[in-house]
Amino acid sequence: MIVRILSEDQYDLPGKYIDELNSIDNELVDIVEEGSIADFKPKLKKMLDLVRNNGTLVPVEELIESDLVLPHSDISFDEATSLFKGEGLIPN
Amino acid sequence: MGMLSRMTMIVKSKVSTVLDKAEDPRETLDYSYEKQMESLRKVKRSVLEMVTNKRRLELQAGKVQAKLEKLTSQAKEALNAGREDLARIVLERKQSAVSELQALEEQLAGLEIEQEKLTHAEQRLQSKVEAFRTKKEIIKAQYNAAQAQVRIGLALSGVSEEMGDVSIAIERAQSKTESLQAKAGAIDELIVSGVLDDPLNMGKDEIEIELEKLSSSASVEDEIKALRDEIADGSTKQLEEGK
Repeated sequence: MIVRILSEDQYDLPGKYIDELNSIDNELVDIVEEGSIADFKPKLKKMLDLVRNNGTLVPVEELIESDLVLPHSDISFDEATSLFKGEGLIPN
Repeated sequence: MGMLSRMTMIVKSKVSTVLDKAEDPRETLDYSYEKQMESLRKVKRSVLEMVTNKRRLELQAGKVQAKLEKLTSQAKEALNAGREDLARIVLERKQSAVSELQALEEQLAGLEIEQEKLTHAEQRLQSKVEAFRTKKEIIKAQYNAAQAQVRIGLALSGVSEEMGDVSIAIERAQSKTESLQAKAGAIDELIVSGVLDDPLNMGKDEIEIELEKLSSSASVEDEIKALRDEIADGSTKQLEEGK
């Protein structure tokens, strides 16, 4: 599975990590809904590190579409919140 | 819906699907290549803008730095002339300038990070566009309508996603720069209008401000002492040299 981390790189991540990725994703949704700002950054880092540590870097010359796109490592809590409200990534 | 599926959707939606409409798939390739070059120019421009913004802040910081040096020598002069009251006023002004310099340096660090990110995005897109150009020529040379459609589609989606990533990076960098500039502008206005002597007092409560005044007047006292010692040393030296 090809995974992109925005503003970083694309990785080829073995399928066995999908479940873990999904469960972290769900935890992130809960964190944003509950407004637990302090838990946000560590959880996001856990998600990005899962991909960085277990995926193989896709060479930059390769033109390949990603199956999943992960947010920027520096996405703020506010940006994440507006992402869920469907306002897009850039809050107005 | 999770964060990832939303993010994936947003990036994909940045890329228009108008491309599929061309009658000859080869036209699609050339058209998309133009779009890619346009996107590349846009990110290069953003990097340049970031550099200009940084230069402006650096100039501003340079001016504040010069002001700091001037204030220090003025305080020394005042003490030399036995005007401690005047020296105190000058050194209080110096404290404000120090805070101003700190704020500018923080902003500069923020812009530095944005510039690095955009430069990385630019380099990635540059490589992708280069790869696309090669692939485009290969597809055109071995053109076979049935196959071409599929291969073109694959190459396009790969490079288009990169353009989506880059366009989000540009938007974020711009929105961050705007808020930094708004902050810097607000501080400048308050200083000019005299509402605010110390820009860092913004949003602090009275106790914090009082405490800061204490530490600020402590630094004024320290500096008065240091300047006095310096002056005293200077005159001892002169006396010794005069022997």
